[in-house]
Amino acid sequence: MNIIIQNILVFSALAIALVFLIRKFIWSPKKESSKACGGNDGCGCH
Amino acid sequence: MSKQINVALIGNPNTGKTSVFNALTGLNQKVGNYPGITVEKKEGICKLPRGVKAHIIDLPGTYSLNASSLDENVVIELLLNKNDKDHPDVAIVVSDVENLKRNLLLFTQIKDLQIPTILVINMSDRMAYKGISLDIAYLEKQLETKIALISTRKNKGIEELKELITHSKELSTKPCMDASTIDEAYFNNLRKAFPNQLLYKLWLVITQDVNFGKTDRKTFDTVEDFKTKSKADLKRLQQKETIKRYQFINETLKKGQTIDLKTAKDLRIKLDRILTHKVWGYLIFGVILLTIFQAIYDWSSIPMDFIDSSFASLSEWVKNTLPEGAFTNLLAEGIISGLGGIVIFIPQIAFLFLFISILEESGYMSRVVFLMDRIMRRFGLSGKSVVPLISGTACAIPAIMATRNIESWKERLITILVTPFTTCAARLPVYLIIIELVIPEGRIFGLGYQPLTLMLLYLIGFGAAVGSAWILDRIMKFKSKSFFVVEMPNYKLPLFKNVALTVLEKTKAFVFGAGKIILAISIVIWVLGSVGVNDKYDNAKSIITEQFDANGFSDIQNISLENKIERYTKDLVGANAKNSIELSELQISDSLHLKIDSFKKAVINDEISSLKLENSILGYIGKAVEPAIRPLGYDWKIGIAIVSSFAAREVFIGTLSTIYSVGSEMEDDENKTIRSKMNSERHPHTNKKVFTLASGISLLLFYAFAMQCMSTLAIVKRETNSWKWPILQLVIMTGFAYIVALIAFQVLK
Repeated sequence: MNIIIQNILVFSALAIALVFLIRKFIWSPKKESSKACGGNDGCGCH
Repeated sequence: MSKQINVALIGNPNTGKTSVFNALTGLNQKVGNYPGITVEKKEGICKLPRGVKAHIIDLPGTYSLNASSLDENVVIELLLNKNDKDHPDVAIVVSDVENLKRNLLLFTQIKDLQIPTILVINMSDRMAYKGISLDIAYLEKQLETKIALISTRKNKGIEELKELITHSKELSTKPCMDASTIDEAYFNNLRKAFPNQLLYKLWLVITQDVNFGKTDRKTFDTVEDFKTKSKADLKRLQQKETIKRYQFINETLKKGQTIDLKTAKDLRIKLDRILTHKVWGYLIFGVILLTIFQAIYDWSSIPMDFIDSSFASLSEWVKNTLPEGAFTNLLAEGIISGLGGIVIFIPQIAFLFLFISILEESGYMSRVVFLMDRIMRRFGLSGKSVVPLISGTACAIPAIMATRNIESWKERLITILVTPFTTCAARLPVYLIIIELVIPEGRIFGLGYQPLTLMLLYLIGFGAAVGSAWILDRIMKFKSKSFFVVEMPNYKLPLFKNVALTVLEKTKAFVFGAGKIILAISIVIWVLGSVGVNDKYDNAKSIITEQFDANGFSDIQNISLENKIERYTKDLVGANAKNSIELSELQISDSLHLKIDSFKKAVINDEISSLKLENSILGYIGKAVEPAIRPLGYDWKIGIAIVSSFAAREVFIGTLSTIYSVGSEMEDDENKTIRSKMNSERHPHTNKKVFTLASGISLLLFYAFAMQCMSTLAIVKRETNSWKWPILQLVIMTGFAYIVALIAFQVLK
């Protein structure tokens, strides 16, 4: 039982670590910025 | 609920805008006594009397509304664009009491945009010292504004400023100067073409590369009876505008400001003469650097030893206390070892930032910028590149962002490309541990070899940056030039609060920024090192036990065992002789036998762990990398650490500590701290130390030149708007690092 729990904890830690590293360095979903200032966003700067 | 008042803090660089921002919002943004600290707008909320709230925006420093760089554009776009949700209801122009004349140029321009404006005169505590007196009532009348005389250092005048913001609706929007006096005919044309627009706004749109509202530069070309002037003509008109503004300011200050030089007690000129001298200036700077590096070593050794042994004990405690299993091993060998590898450097990082912060706060850093400008100009860079290069000693990312105030695209690009050569804080842990392992502890003229090596590495980094800038200047053909005007702030006694906050913030950013990456990588490395890929991994214990039963200990292992036993016997007998313990000969003999058994068991367990590691996924990856790095003197474990440190350089130490924890047992007391583990690491076949002078110097040089920071590459991509430059940077820097490290190892081995 103890071994199973420990393995689950290791697996969870690994999954969290991998998700963190992937989001940090490989792919992160783009957030919609509230201060968007693109070409046609009507901000008036362009 | 009443609407928040939008307040923009605007002013020349180094007038203390960020200090005013901190005083109003209660936030702790970084402040410094040199220009260019703020390159992006920062926001905060200020609680005003009677429950009113103000939304404060701290904008990058600008000398005027004639933008020449990206950070200045931020200011102008915000002031011109009424659609922007941050467009200010009131502008606060922060000026420095000693440079009021220059600061008022920007004030009069903002006032002419008909934005309610408050003039803040900061650093008022220096007025008596400088013999300055002001007629506030007269100045308020002439400038059509309200003035707050404040001192952020002494925390004076902030409440009065809050009152003025609360009553900002009562502020006059009358301009200081009639824009049409710049060129009557031209402005009349403009007025006819755009009857409902503010003339000065139109003028700024014409002369700047920014637009506002529905009117942009293209609009001017479509209006038939209006013709824009040539660029040269517009420049001449801009100069005329500046002259007119200064005439107005001079008139105003003639009565409003008195400077009595007799009462001024100025040490500044005398100090500047020495500190910026073409010989003494550099010598003094050299001595300051040497002192800093020596102090970093001397002062941090005790806390570092404490942290190192604490993490070793914690790891041991976790292993002995928690139930046996994979997660306990992950905690003890992966997470604690990996984090220990970075926490150990907190004292040295904190001392480095303490010194840098004192130099910034005191005003000396601007003198360094001035000194460096003399050198930089010879290499095709202006002094404006010095600020990023110096701030690169903390981290390349804000340093690259600081290049936004360089007007010339060529100079800016070169600075972006060479800044990662300067020694950032992330390189420091790698340097410190390798230096400690391979450079002897001796001293020359009172200075340790180790601090001298560290200083040399900083100079190599700076030299590489300047040298590559020189080459790039010759390769890049496009012509553009920028001018460097450095603000020489007054010398100040560093404020304890500012210094402490900077040290705390920077150390926190270092530990938590890198800490998360190190933690994640340590977990991944531990798992990769704990999952076998063949039978040898599963049967490691029986394979090694059989080997020892059949062949006994190898000659190398026997020598190592004998040395350990000899040291232990010496310690035991020595302690007995000093009466610190009292043991009979029989007890000493029993203790020795027990210890010999424990040493032998540790050797066997080390062999088992080592065989397991070699046959794990990590071992296979490492072995695949090894041929590429063997010529540099590194083994596969260092190879793994180098690959993982592409995420961030400091990951190198965390990875090695995790690998060495997985690959060895902790029963041996002498070999439980990170540093001792690395020091005792040997090549399995030759039994030679892994970290020798040759491999150590090779590693130091590799890290001095290699582009090993993915976040920096991402920021270079963002700032250059192209993948071309970061990819070139990565290939050239890392290729160069490889060649230099190869030569170093092959020459020194």
